[in-house]
Amino acid sequence: MRRTIVDDRLKNFLDAKLNADVSRRSFLQGAAGLSTLTVLGGTGTALAAGGKLGGDLNFLGWDGENGANVAKPFLEANNIKMNASFQSAADEALTRFNTGGRGAMDILTPNKDFQTAILKSGVELFQPLDLSRIPTASGLFPTFKTASWLVKDGKTYGIPIIWGDEPCVFNPKKWDAMPAKYTDFADPKFKGELVLLDDPFGNIWLWAKSLDMPEPSRLTAAQLQKVLEAMLKAKPNVVTIGGSHGDMADVLVRGDASIGIGGWAYQVVIAKGKGVDLKVGSPSVDGTFFWSDSYAIAVDAPNLDNAYAYIDFMTKPESNAALATELSSGCTVEAAYDLMKEDIRSMFPYEHVRKPSGSILGTQIVVPPQKPDGDVVGAASWVEAWQTFKAS
Amino acid sequence: MSSSAAPAAREQSRPHASMLPAAAFYIVFFALPTLCLFVLSFWTADGFQLIPGFTLGNYEKIFTSPLYRALMIRTIGVAFVTTAIVVPIAFAVSFLMRFVFERRGQFILQMVLLSLFSGYLVRIYAWRTILGKQGLLNSTLQWLGVIREPLDFLIYSNFAVVVTLSGLLLPLAVLPLYSAMLNIGRDDIEAARDLGAGRLHVLRTVLLPMAMPGVRTAFAFSFLLSAGDFVTPSLVGGAQSLLIGNIISDQFRGIGSNWPLGAAMAFVVIAVMLASYLIVMRLIRWVTTW
Repeated sequence: MRRTIVDDRLKNFLDAKLNADVSRRSFLQGAAGLSTLTVLGGTGTALAAGGKLGGDLNFLGWDGENGANVAKPFLEANNIKMNASFQSAADEALTRFNTGGRGAMDILTPNKDFQTAILKSGVELFQPLDLSRIPTASGLFPTFKTASWLVKDGKTYGIPIIWGDEPCVFNPKKWDAMPAKYTDFADPKFKGELVLLDDPFGNIWLWAKSLDMPEPSRLTAAQLQKVLEAMLKAKPNVVTIGGSHGDMADVLVRGDASIGIGGWAYQVVIAKGKGVDLKVGSPSVDGTFFWSDSYAIAVDAPNLDNAYAYIDFMTKPESNAALATELSSGCTVEAAYDLMKEDIRSMFPYEHVRKPSGSILGTQIVVPPQKPDGDVVGAASWVEAWQTFKAS
Repeated sequence: MSSSAAPAAREQSRPHASMLPAAAFYIVFFALPTLCLFVLSFWTADGFQLIPGFTLGNYEKIFTSPLYRALMIRTIGVAFVTTAIVVPIAFAVSFLMRFVFERRGQFILQMVLLSLFSGYLVRIYAWRTILGKQGLLNSTLQWLGVIREPLDFLIYSNFAVVVTLSGLLLPLAVLPLYSAMLNIGRDDIEAARDLGAGRLHVLRTVLLPMAMPGVRTAFAFSFLLSAGDFVTPSLVGGAQSLLIGNIISDQFRGIGSNWPLGAAMAFVVIAVMLASYLIVMRLIRWVTTW
């Protein structure tokens, strides 16, 4: 009975959050008021290696990834007061860091794309982690133990907390399967059927891959133009561009479109709750892309001991399973998999993260260079191309 | 001088003192941030870094880009159409409340205000429910046999943006207009009618000029808010109804953002909106004095 109540509350919580703001990551909300889903292990009362715990812990990241509910016993047992604030865009942590936040920020939760861009650019934001102070990180899936997007010059800058992919979500009453390639969505038979996510990098990358560009994340101006032209061929079939995954789900549930591109498996769960049957399935040739968010520590973090102890606690299997369940995402700790309910864990292709060396998450670079690199255009050009697509 | 008269005298000697808190609030939370944004519009962005300096490059890009020009024209067009719908309807509603249903005027006003109690997003989603492919309007028309297939243009179109914005802004336009109408006496209208003025003449030479403060505010609310909105077009505008506000918001979030360019766009929009406002006000003044 209790399980049912908790499940209902989780579902309501997720539904509410899905309708907030832009992008999947923006949906992630604090789980205040939500019962702890899993009986957590030890609360981690301890002395951090090299320091005593207690006092403040400043968090700036995606809403919900602070794990207010999951971390509560740990924080209480160690007299740590978490000061959580939430970002609405990936680069907000950097903005705050550069505008007086340096020295007042501890835990950050960058996504894979942003962390890749920051580490490549050499801009100061994340400090290298002392993995000896996060022993639970040894339990990560092989992919996450050697995640290339978190490592620079042999130093690790983040501990993955959740992950997932962005497949197509479609109405099986209208379609048996997705076409083989994203460029196939230009077919007039899809007129009035498509809803896209307002994500410049994800969409341009998918079409670049579909056009067999040698490096879909590194396009020249001519290649970007070619991608834009290919996307514009599909534009007449696009009903709307969803501001968030929740908005996309709403469009699909209302029947205003029947295919969501760059969707989220959880949309199927939402639709089911509203009596609508949706299915996940990406183009067989092109596939889709993957994301992952990590815990990182800011340069000059004032509460380093608390930060390390917190990350170590949140990387325990019980904590990771609870957080991934709350956020309806993939878990990153191998032992957490068995602690999760089948309906949540079956939403993500775990075979990818059981492979070492970052697997497809590591080789897939979705974001372009932040600045132009020779003939290769920078992120601003991608944003402008996406705006042209939206405005056309 | 009596002791009770002393504070009043002090107040008279400093007539602007009572405005200081409001002025301080506006300076700190409006003027200074706006000034910062204006300065930022002359900077440049280099990857993740803002480079202070002075360049007109951002403004040049806005004026030379066909994309931004087209979006600006579309935005002003949508704002004008919305205002042209909202202000006359609000004027008529206010007139009815003031002169026709005078006794129930306050009750109607409460009803108008009641609509503001629901959230902005909730009201947009309500319009989506009404205008959607399988929404209330299409379903009703199909049930009545008026149409066989759902009318596609009702949702995810400029039509949907204008209708939704009109619905959102109408209560805001009624408030100042009704307030202005309360200052117009029946005697003023009857005097004009006694002197032989027709209904249109009364409207043009008596009602409009006397309700002008309300018209100005209603116009400002409707025009400026619809021209600056980016949530409504993103939720009901569909794939072809992007407005300049959406592009500005893109410049301030995520990888590839360009704050200086976004700031410059914001100031161009402000300038265009102010110019449009002044032109329309001048036009109304000309019509009412002609």
